[in-house]
Amino acid sequence: MTLSFSLKHAIQNFGREKWINILSIFTIASSLFIITLTFLVVYNIELFTANLPERFTMMVYLKDNLSEEDSRNIVTALQSRRDIRSVNYISKDAALKELKRTLKDASSILDGLGDNPLSPSIELKFNRDMITSSSLKNISETIKAMPGVDDVYYGEKIAEAIHNLKSSLRNIGIILFFTILSGVIFVTYSTVKILFYRKKEEIEILKLLGATTSFIRIPFLIEGGVIGFFGGVLGSVGTLSLSFAVTYRLSTIIPLLKTLVFPSEMFLLLPMIGTFLGILGATIAIGRLRF
Amino acid sequence: MITFTHVSKYYDNQPVLRDITFTLPKGEMAYITGPTGAGKSTLLKLIYHAEKPDEGDIVVGDRQLQSLKTSRISLLRRDIGIVFQDFKLLNNFTIFDNVALALRIRGINEKDIRSVVSETLKRVHLRHKVDSYPQSLSGGEQQRVVIARAFVAEPPIILADEPTGNLDPNTATQIIRLFLDINLRGATILIATHNRELFKYTGKRVLKLDSGNLIGEETG
Repeated sequence: MTLSFSLKHAIQNFGREKWINILSIFTIASSLFIITLTFLVVYNIELFTANLPERFTMMVYLKDNLSEEDSRNIVTALQSRRDIRSVNYISKDAALKELKRTLKDASSILDGLGDNPLSPSIELKFNRDMITSSSLKNISETIKAMPGVDDVYYGEKIAEAIHNLKSSLRNIGIILFFTILSGVIFVTYSTVKILFYRKKEEIEILKLLGATTSFIRIPFLIEGGVIGFFGGVLGSVGTLSLSFAVTYRLSTIIPLLKTLVFPSEMFLLLPMIGTFLGILGATIAIGRLRF
Repeated sequence: MITFTHVSKYYDNQPVLRDITFTLPKGEMAYITGPTGAGKSTLLKLIYHAEKPDEGDIVVGDRQLQSLKTSRISLLRRDIGIVFQDFKLLNNFTIFDNVALALRIRGINEKDIRSVVSETLKRVHLRHKVDSYPQSLSGGEQQRVVIARAFVAEPPIILADEPTGNLDPNTATQIIRLFLDINLRGATILIATHNRELFKYTGKRVLKLDSGNLIGEETG
């Protein structure tokens, strides 16, 4: 079988059924465009939230009467944890100094307190890859159970809200991604199936003349691939236009949009994904050829 | 080359062919004759495995068709050139591409295809129609394209179902001469026809079918 003939045959077929093919290309392009938008939303939220744990701190308040050695032991124990990036011990005096600095002119109100009423504390920062809101809760409970620890404080509600938002968006993204992906496969499947039925007689003749299944299949697979490829290219053009519009036009009105990231690999990836899905749809549509 | 041993075929429990036994040796040209509905086309279909027998054995070349794997059917058909009664030409292909298809299926390179197809079309007097489409050709011309497609790859067996059905007597004689010529080159040929004039004085073997029964043989 000559590949040039299969290619020629596929291109001829494409031209003969141009309207159904063009319609499929546009459907695939808009589906891939929606997939890309979903991906961009999820991707940018991931980027945004990925830096939050770095800024996130947990305060561990130690018991007031704790000896210096016991305090050191707690600090050492916390330093040995892989999920904690930095441990900063704040003594009673340092805490009072900081409070006075914060209160500035009103610091004189502390003078009447006599002894330093503040507890020594430890400020913890975390490694971004190793924590989630549930793991933060576990960490706080473990630390709270350590002897010498009086209380642990962190923005529990905020952490949980961020985590929930992130996982909901990711889940919606995944569902949307697979739903639309199946849609793209179905579109190519339907297109190739229609073409396949229209060419039923031609296929029967090819079989009678001794054509192998691959000889019959290849032009259809090429056609499916071509539909998917052009759908991908068009989707890519749409996404590129959107990224230009957001970066150069909309961001002048809404400055926050400047922070949005459009990964450039995506523009190359879309035609490849389209081609793959097109061939996959065509393969399913042709199914098993019976002799 | 082609052997039928007690072959029967039924459609909806009605016998179309009954207990057919015959052998067509390699290189022989023969005719199957009989009225419409005698089972001629079905007999040919059994040879190229478009139909399967309900009883009996068929051997084509060295292939036992009962045990032929599906993946081998295309190989069997590449050994057979078929002239279909209803032509089975691809209307969106040019005459050149229709004839070339038989070679492309066999994986022949494009350079050889060009010269072989051109030569074959010359033999059926259709070289000037190389870029035409089947629908612009007369019935007789289409028939000659089908014949050209059947023998362009020089298969060892050629089956023809009413190959002169659409032709005037002169063209029919030319076509039969063409078959005789192909037969002289070594091909085994089996022609199904109801037209007795076609095999008169050919000196070839004629198998007579009637209502699915092989009722005898004669020499044309």
